[in-house]
Amino acid sequence: MLTTVALIVLILMALSILVCTVRAILGPSMSDRLVALDTIGINLIGFTAILLLVQDTVAYTEVVLVLGILAFIGSVAIAKFIEGGVVLDRDRH
Amino acid sequence: MKNTPVQLHVITRIVAFIILAFSVFLFFAGHNNPGGGFIGGLMTAAALVLLYLSFDLKTIKRVIPFNYSKIIGAGLLIAILTGIVGMLFGFPFLTQFDEYYHIPLLGETHAASALPFDLGIYLVVVGFTLLVILTVAEDDS
Amino acid sequence: MNNLVILPILIPLLMGVILIFFKDSKSVQRTVSVISVGLMIAVSAYLTYIVYTEGIQTTELGDWPAPFGIVLVADLLSSSLVALSSLLSLVCLFFAYQTFSAERERNFFHPFFLFLMVGVNGSFLTGDLFNLFVFFEVMLISSFILISMGSKQYQLRESLKYVIINTVSSMFFVAAIAYIYGVTGTLNMADLAVKIGELEQTGVISVIAVLFLFVFGTKSAIFPLYYWLPHSYFAPPAAIAALFGGLLTKVGVYTIMRTYTLIFPHDQTVFQILLIFGGLTMFIGVLGAVSQFDFKRILAVHIVSQVGYMIMGIGIFTPLAIAGTFYFLAHNIIVKSALFLFAGVAEKITGTSHLKQMSGLLKTHPYVGWLFLITALSLAGIPPLSGFFGKFALIIAGFDAGNYFVIAVSLATGVLTLFSMMKIFMTSFWGEVKMPDPQAKDKKVGSLLIPILPLVALTILLGVAAEPFMQFSLELAEQLMDPSEYINSVLNKE
Repeated sequence: MLTTVALIVLILMALSILVCTVRAILGPSMSDRLVALDTIGINLIGFTAILLLVQDTVAYTEVVLVLGILAFIGSVAIAKFIEGGVVLDRDRH
Repeated sequence: MKNTPVQLHVITRIVAFIILAFSVFLFFAGHNNPGGGFIGGLMTAAALVLLYLSFDLKTIKRVIPFNYSKIIGAGLLIAILTGIVGMLFGFPFLTQFDEYYHIPLLGETHAASALPFDLGIYLVVVGFTLLVILTVAEDDS
Repeated sequence: MNNLVILPILIPLLMGVILIFFKDSKSVQRTVSVISVGLMIAVSAYLTYIVYTEGIQTTELGDWPAPFGIVLVADLLSSSLVALSSLLSLVCLFFAYQTFSAERERNFFHPFFLFLMVGVNGSFLTGDLFNLFVFFEVMLISSFILISMGSKQYQLRESLKYVIINTVSSMFFVAAIAYIYGVTGTLNMADLAVKIGELEQTGVISVIAVLFLFVFGTKSAIFPLYYWLPHSYFAPPAAIAALFGGLLTKVGVYTIMRTYTLIFPHDQTVFQILLIFGGLTMFIGVLGAVSQFDFKRILAVHIVSQVGYMIMGIGIFTPLAIAGTFYFLAHNIIVKSALFLFAGVAEKITGTSHLKQMSGLLKTHPYVGWLFLITALSLAGIPPLSGFFGKFALIIAGFDAGNYFVIAVSLATGVLTLFSMMKIFMTSFWGEVKMPDPQAKDKKVGSLLIPILPLVALTILLGVAAEPFMQFSLELAEQLMDPSEYINSVLNKE
């Protein structure tokens, strides 16, 4: 029962990642791309977590954390780029 | 003088240390579980990049006054020396040794000579990632 | 098990890493590099001696047994090539000291020079295909840095092409390794030789062999894949160009020699392909050289033509041909680098490397001229210099095997080589004194010639005392043609 549900969820998430990829490529503005990429990251985290359930293992727990961290840093970097045009400031003061 | 992103600063101060702690965990988890010097180094680099993102290059340079190319050198040196130690005892290059110890509080501990080698990789990855990112960042202005 | 085999790789690696910490001290950098290259020469000469007297030496890295772990193998071919390349690197290092600006030496020149030697020595010594890929990458990344150092516009443009072509061929290298692993389930070269010998499906193996030929052909610049070479080797300064011209393409030739004698010796069609491409490579290469009017460019295009001879030798595939190929390879490493260094000397004197802008060097600097003439004649294959004996062995072997057409092409190529070498000598050394720089006459270049002298002496020695060297090459060829000793010593089957 759980496996069936998990499989359906996996398929839906894969579709959602696909849709987000389209948005990330087309995305008329930079903000659209940022949101799309962020959503892809979140989806990947969920995807990995459900894989843990399906395969009944804890081997990928670190992957979830690593993906979360990378998605966060990526979002921050793009957000800064949209706001100021530079990712790393030389001297803010 | 642009507006200072206060939320980002506050969050960075907390999150950077969580990521650093996680990277240490990943580094020691290696060898028997997923993890190791490479991914641990990448996570440390991620934490430092986050610091660079939310503060500016000059401030962080004051906090972390390391020359990253020397860190790469130190990492390579540690990794090579680990390999050479085995040679001194008549084993081939890069032979690794391991032993199980019982340490109070930590319990049964697996001590392997692969750990110093991993430390070398860790340093190389940290140094290399930051060197590349900072070189690119300093180039665009 | 013998840790001696790892030393030619370990010494430059360790010293190069130590040098990263002494980035700003010129004297430390120079002393440490010279010491490490000197150690490398001593160790590799001793290794060659050990291999010659006691047979093939192996090291199993990390004490993992052979087909599973990575193994380093020193047979006669690899150990003698390591010795030669170490010697060459010492020469280029000394030449670099006298021609390089201080700024270039501060910019991590020495560490990457030593890392390049790690890659070259490692490619010669490794006995594992994937490890070969790794050492190729070490060599290529260091060469990317050495070739683009200095950042002149022309240099950057050509090094970009060099980087792209090599990255693409590395991708194919990994693909070929994946294929061969999929078919046989092993990457150890000795184990591959055994497994492929037992394999039924020869079609797949032929495809993989051709894929490897594409990869190594790109690195060693054989006929349809050579276009990147003349420009890239023209760009860097003479000391680096000499090292690249002497070593990098030869590593490609070495890998073709190794894989085709050890792993794919059963496939006759591939050897036919090698013969055809060998002939085309040497002829088209020499035509390119004839049409050029620039000192360094002529030499760079000549590399292509000389690689053709070696490919032809492997294609003929008899013991004498392989011996001739090795003799020619050794001769070419020495002579080609010496010629590039002479180009550097001429450029230092006159300030240009274009032939039409300089002449009469023989009157102002007679030693440079006569030493150049010896080396150039050796390249063209005039007896009693070293080039003659390599070509002689190849031609005899070709007649024995009945490949008359390729032999005819190689003889024609020899004549054209002589012509283009004489063109350099007649236009830039002979004739009236004419140089763009008015002070050129009085420039003293005696100290620049000292590093080249051992190379010139070696080419004369290889020619005059050809008998013992040819004997050595024949023994080496026997070892290559009968891989059972290699396989047994790697897989520990007594």
